[in-house]
Amino acid sequence: MIALIRYNFATTLHTQRYLPPVFLFLGLLAVLTVNGGGSLPAAYASAAGALFVSSAWLATAVLGVDDPAQRAIVVVSAGRSLKVLLASVLSVLLGCLVLLVTGLVFPLWMGSYRLTPAGLLLGVEAQLTGACTGIAIGLPCSRLLFRRQGHALLTAVALLMGTLFTQGLPPLNRLLRLMATTDDPARLLAPGGAMLLVAVALLATATAATQFLSGGKP
Amino acid sequence: MRLEAVGKRYGRGGWVLRDVRAEIAPGEVVAFAGGNGSGKSTLLRILAGVTRPSAGAVTGRPAVVGYVPDRFSPVERLSAMAYLTHMGRIRGLTTQTASARASGLLERLALVGGADSPLRTLSKGNGQKVALAQALLVEPELLVLDEPWSGLDASAHGVLAEIMGEVAGRGGAVVFTDHREAVTRARASRTYVVDGGRVVLQGSRTQPPLTGVVLTGPDTGPPPRTLDWQTLQGVRAVHGGETRISLTVERAHADALLQLALRHGWSVVDVTRGVDE
Repeated sequence: MIALIRYNFATTLHTQRYLPPVFLFLGLLAVLTVNGGGSLPAAYASAAGALFVSSAWLATAVLGVDDPAQRAIVVVSAGRSLKVLLASVLSVLLGCLVLLVTGLVFPLWMGSYRLTPAGLLLGVEAQLTGACTGIAIGLPCSRLLFRRQGHALLTAVALLMGTLFTQGLPPLNRLLRLMATTDDPARLLAPGGAMLLVAVALLATATAATQFLSGGKP
Repeated sequence: MRLEAVGKRYGRGGWVLRDVRAEIAPGEVVAFAGGNGSGKSTLLRILAGVTRPSAGAVTGRPAVVGYVPDRFSPVERLSAMAYLTHMGRIRGLTTQTASARASGLLERLALVGGADSPLRTLSKGNGQKVALAQALLVEPELLVLDEPWSGLDASAHGVLAEIMGEVAGRGGAVVFTDHREAVTRARASRTYVVDGGRVVLQGSRTQPPLTGVVLTGPDTGPPPRTLDWQTLQGVRAVHGGETRISLTVERAHADALLQLALRHGWSVVDVTRGVDE
């Protein structure tokens, strides 16, 4: 598994496909939190929203590096296609962790918030929820299931918009609305944890569906 | 390893393969011959375990499989050595073992262009050598080769034939495709013909008597014209370079080969009847 993750990092770094989603994340984070106003949960809600969109893009980028012939070689070398897919998901999650740290620190640097352990933990919960939900959308919209990039992009945008803007839809919209309207982070830890569990379940379902559907592809 | 009533279709499209029944025994070299678009590559992807069949089952696939697809397009900025080291680690080797194994294979296949140069700078033939090397990093129990001679030079043809023989000699199975009947007949102990998604056993062959032929260029005058020896009927092995070459050929085709070689400016140094492959 570590060898596959190393391979994913090497190929993604060499092709520089990570740059657009990383720049998108940094740009959104800067625009949404640069004024330093509002509450800390609201700032971390913005970071979680930015990571949601960027992680979906990062997932499609990592899974799109290898063309079908090279992916076949990697699958045969690893022995199981599920192992290769799980390594890709873990690689994207590791990349998202780096962005998550930036998302935790940048709002604190820009504004003057009262930092508490509960506030920091809520920031981690929210961004992990955003990352897992984003990857869950990126996986089925990747090259594994879509041969035409235009179709993949349209599907991904529709799913991202629907997940982000459908009022009260768990996990992301419900969590972000709570964070935007509640100033006390300690009160949001429990619902934040529940939404993170929903996001992890969503990611597991998307991984299983992608694995099943990609097995019959050419 | 056995394919039982295997079929493949994509979505609601037509059947690419239908009711395929085939058997691949350890130590055997099996060819799937057929024209472009006949379904050979899809069949090999099913054999290698990359694609799931829509119908039927594949049973008895060995644990260690080496697979060379018909097209090789890795991340081109990686060097051949870095790429092979990654593939070796994915197969469970340590970094040192993977690098040493990769280095040995690239040397044996005579990679031109540098093991540390980016893959994008390699020619098609040298890229194919890297593709072959990745499939051999760990000794395969099943070696699946899709059009493996594509782009390879004459000396690499000989090395590939040796490697196939070695894998089969260790008790592994080798499966390959080629659209040239002369190649499949010369290399395979069992040949299936793929046509329109159907697969038919063309026949197994027993070992025919072989003749060894050694050719050289003339002492004076123009050098002999180059021939693609591997594709000539009955040729089983080729060793040597541009001015001196050693061939193993089926006895029934030896006279025709000698006539062709003489017409192309080669001189006959030695002919030995009853050689081993």
